[in-house]
Order: sequence, then structure tokens, then C-alpha cells
Amino acid sequence: MDTLGYLGQGFGVALSPYNLVTALAGTLIGTVVGLLPGLGPINGVALLIPIAFALGLPPESALILLAAVYLGCEYGGRISSILLNIPGEASTVMTTLDGYPMARQGLAGVALSLSAWSSFIGAFIATCGMVLFAPLLAKWAIAFGPAEYFVLMVFAIVCLGGMAGDRPLKTFIAALIGLFLSSVGIDANSGVYRFTGDSVHLADGIQFVVLVLGLFSISEILLLLEKTHHGHEAVKATGRMLFNFKEAASVFVVNIRCGLLGFIMGVLPGAGATLASAVAYMTEKRIAGASGTFGKGDKRGLAAPETAIGASCCGALVPMLTLGVPGSGTTAVMIGALTLYNITPGPMLFAQQPDIVWGLIASLFIANIMLVILNIPMIRIFTRILAVPNWALVPVIAIITAIGVYAVHATTFDLFLMIGIGIFGYILRKLDFPLSPILLGFILGGLMEQNLRRALSISNGALDILWSSPISISVWALTIAMMLLPLLRIWRKRSLQRRALADV
Amino acid sequence: MILQRLFALFLLAVCTALAVMAWPYQAAFSYEPVGPRAYPLLMLGLMAAGLLYLAFRPTPIVHKDDEPQLDRETLNKIGLCVALLLVFAATFEPLGFIVSSILIGVPMARLYGGRWLPSVVIIGLMSIALYWLFDRVMDVPLPLGLLDVLEN
Repeated sequence: MDTLGYLGQGFGVALSPYNLVTALAGTLIGTVVGLLPGLGPINGVALLIPIAFALGLPPESALILLAAVYLGCEYGGRISSILLNIPGEASTVMTTLDGYPMARQGLAGVALSLSAWSSFIGAFIATCGMVLFAPLLAKWAIAFGPAEYFVLMVFAIVCLGGMAGDRPLKTFIAALIGLFLSSVGIDANSGVYRFTGDSVHLADGIQFVVLVLGLFSISEILLLLEKTHHGHEAVKATGRMLFNFKEAASVFVVNIRCGLLGFIMGVLPGAGATLASAVAYMTEKRIAGASGTFGKGDKRGLAAPETAIGASCCGALVPMLTLGVPGSGTTAVMIGALTLYNITPGPMLFAQQPDIVWGLIASLFIANIMLVILNIPMIRIFTRILAVPNWALVPVIAIITAIGVYAVHATTFDLFLMIGIGIFGYILRKLDFPLSPILLGFILGGLMEQNLRRALSISNGALDILWSSPISISVWALTIAMMLLPLLRIWRKRSLQRRALADV
Repeated sequence: MILQRLFALFLLAVCTALAVMAWPYQAAFSYEPVGPRAYPLLMLGLMAAGLLYLAFRPTPIVHKDDEPQLDRETLNKIGLCVALLLVFAATFEPLGFIVSSILIGVPMARLYGGRWLPSVVIIGLMSIALYWLFDRVMDVPLPLGLLDVLEN
């Protein structure tokens, strides 16, 4: 019952006019950012960090703004995948499979509103799950000592690799790059300057915003250069804008199923929206069997990934708020934002600053409702934004990115660093390395080192403290299971191939 | 494949260099068993192991359908774009935000296939609008540079 009281309090925070306007602005900005090619939730949230700080927003409003932008971006990404058949980001690939055919059949408006509705249900289920489980998890997490935290972070990193599917090694290397980069700068425990090359600008470490914008914006700008000669025509959204009751009812079971699935996938570190949407789509396709017209504009094929994305986005906030361990690239960015406000996410946050936590949870509800409502009158304007040509867009993205970086420290050194990181990110992308593990590694790195050193200080250097408590032993067991997962997958693939060869 | 191997070997060299750099890191006096050197070395070691494996057994790169092959023309464009960004960073403070963003924004718009007149108009207007929005409305201080004279 405590929880409901806190939730009420949270709605009190979120429903204050100031925060409502913040959430509305956030969803609008987020949708536009998500729509534009080259800008996804990670850049959107990262760009707003210095601005929210400069505007002097109080921490809970800033967090609400960022969460609203996050949800808005996910929504905006959907518009380009349904109308243009271009997934705005990796997680919406599955949406294009059935969303675009629906739009071609003249159901663009229905597809958009139905996807908004699905993602609303997904987010709603996940938010309910969060209300139920987050306080429990937070209470449990208080029992964590530094050794347990260290093991948990090892688990999170291994999870990234285990969940990455086809390229575990590259994911692992990317995460290690992030983990290493976090050690640049002055060492808080001993005062030793590490890897700064005697540069004053690096003494503070690499700024998070610089890393994010370099990796994601600059590399995207370079990537867009390859695609300049391609023109894309958006499907016009005409006719009926809103789905009817029958359509909503026909996908309701799918919504519930995929919402639960998405929530679980979102809570697991490293899985995230991309995997959740893919698994949801595949599962529903199998369940529908021959009765489905998946790939040709089946409403279930649209609802399944969208529900899962909505649910996993909110689910990813659970480990972030309760353990301080981000579950996805975007939540990693949000942790970066919180640290700017000197708020350390983790189990104590629930006890010390309930306003922030519950205000955020409540504003997720509100932002989701806003997105559904906004969709109907705004869709025509949004589709017009899709027509902005790259030549006008890209320079503006570059300029805004520079502003975002310059706003942090007001030094041009950061601009040069961002460009360098951007080129590195571009090369990594061309070589098929995933980039968000770098971010997760960067956020986890500092915590991981601190906890490792603290744990070993407690035991006076004896390593066995890392596997002495039941919690850490079970997390180690999970870690090993996760490590075996990709090996198992490779082994299965090989045996299938061998069987196929034997058949011939 | 060959590019991937080269890249893995290059990163491996960087790792080694960084490890050499990290070797002398030692706290002058310390109260804890683990110094500032252990963690970076651990990460570099793991990374090196991964990269070594990658150098010998590179994983195939999956090409998406809409991704055209890199040709000389695109590479030139990317080089130009990077150069423009570097010029932007270098002129950001001395020339000021508005002048430097017009200076690099217009050629960049050309690079992405815009025509001269629309590029100049749109980038010019956007630079001034963004300056006004961020510096005046949102309190993010941006340098005025050359246009400093206009302010007073």
C-alpha cells in the first residue's frame, strides 16, 4: 500500500503544470528528433542534458523531460519506418515489416495510431510492472555490498555480449573500450593522472556528452554522406487517422503477451528494445501460424514489435533506477544526466528522493497518453518534417551537436575530441561494431572500478571476497550461463549446417 | 576482412602503447591494496585478448542492402566533411558561432547535394536563429567572435 501512496505523490509531482508542460515539450521535441534521420533517442537525450542544465530545470523536471524525449523519440522512429520503410533506428526494423505494407494499403493513419496505442499498452504494462517490482528490487539491492555490485556489473557487461547474438566478440570489445575510456582522467582514490597526456582538458576525464555526441551524431553525419543520392518518397497519410474498436480488440491479446515479454527483456541488462521487438515479432508470427498475413500488412505484426518496444523502454528504467546499472544505451545517457545533477541512481534513491523516482514513473504514464493524443492532430505536420532534405538537415545537426558539446565546458578542445571520437565511431560502425556497449561500458566503468577497489580494500586484497556471498555466487552462475549462450548458439548453428551438408 | 585485421592490429598496438603508459601509474602513498594501475591494465589486457582473436579470426561483416559500397568519391566526401568539422572546431571561438557555422554550414549543405542559393539562405537563417535560441532564450553561452562589435 505504501507503493500506491508514493505513486499518488508521484502523480502530484508529474501533474504540476510546470512538469506537464515539460513533458509535453519533451514528447514534441522527442518525436521530431526521432523522425529526423541521423538522430535517435541517444543523441536526443544527450543533446538535451546540457540544455536542461543551462535552463536551470530542477532535477525531477529534467528527468521528466529526458524520459519524455526518450519515449517521443521511440515514437518518432516509428513514423519514418511506417511511412518511409526506413527504420529510424535498429529497434524499429520489425515495425517496417508490416507497418509499411499497411501504409501502402492506404491505412497509414490507422497503422500509426495503432502502433501508438500498442506502445502505450506496452508502456502501461511495463510501468505497472515497475511499480510492483522496482521497490522490491531496491529493497533487495540495499543488501548489495561492493563485491556484489562488482559481480553484477560483470554480469551486465557479459549480458550485452550474450544477448548480442551474431557478434558477441565485437560487442565485448566495444564494451571494453567503454570500460577503459572511463578510467581516463584523475583517479579519485589516489590523485594520479591517468592517460591525460598532460592535457588539462582531460584531467576531468572524457565528458559523457562529448563521447555520446561524437559516437552517435558525428558518425551518423558521416554515414549519411553515403546516402545522399538516394531519394525517398513518403507514403501520404490520408483517410482514416484513428483505428476503430474492432482493430484494437483484434490485437489486444497480442498487446498483453508482448507487453509482458518486452518488460522482461527490458529489465535484463543488454537485451533492450531491438531484441525485444524481434523476439515479439517472431513469437507472434509462430503463434498466428497460417492464419497470419505477416509481412503483408498484418495488424498483429505491427502491434507485436511496437508493444514490446514500448514495454522494454520502460522496463529498462527498472535496473537503472533500482541498481544504478543501465539496461540500454539511452538509460546509460540518462544516468550520465543524473550524475550531472549529483544524483546517484541506486537503491537509496527510492528512500532518499521518492519525489524524483515516483514523479518519473508517473510522468511516463502521462507522456504515453500525450503521445497517443498528439498523434491524431499532429501526424500531418510530422509527415511534412520527413520531407526535409538532407542537405538542409545535416549541417544543422552538426551545428546543434557542436552547441551541445560546447555547452558543457565552453572549450573548443571538447569539439576536437568529439570529432576524433566521431571518426573512430564511424570506423567502428563500418566494421560492424555495435556502439551502445561503449556507452554502457563508459557508464559502468567508473562504478565497476570503484566497487572492485572498495571490495578489495575490505578484504585487504584477498580476491575471494568476490565470490564469498550467496548473492555474488548466484550472479556469477548467471554470468557463466550468459557466456555459454553465444557458444551454444554457434554450436547449434554448426551442427545444423553439418546436418544440411549430410543431407545433400 | 583485411581491413578488419588491420584495424584489430592497430587497436592492439594502441592497447600496448596505453599499457606502457599505464605502467608507471602508482600512488605516492596509498591506503588500499589496489592502486590506480590495476583496473586499466585489466581492461587493456582483456581487450587485447579479444583483438588478438579478432585479428586471426575476423567475423564477416554483414552488409545491409541499402548500404552502398564505399568508393573513392564517397571517401573523398567523408574526408572533406571531416575537414569542414575540424575547421568548425578551430574557428568556433575566434570567428564566433554565427560566422563559423555559416562558413562551414554552406559547404556542408553543398556536400549533401544542396544548391548554392537555398543553402546560403537556410544555413544563414538557421545560424542566426540557433544563436538567438540557445544564447538568448536558453542561456547556453555561445561565442560571438567577430560579431562582438555589433553587440554594443
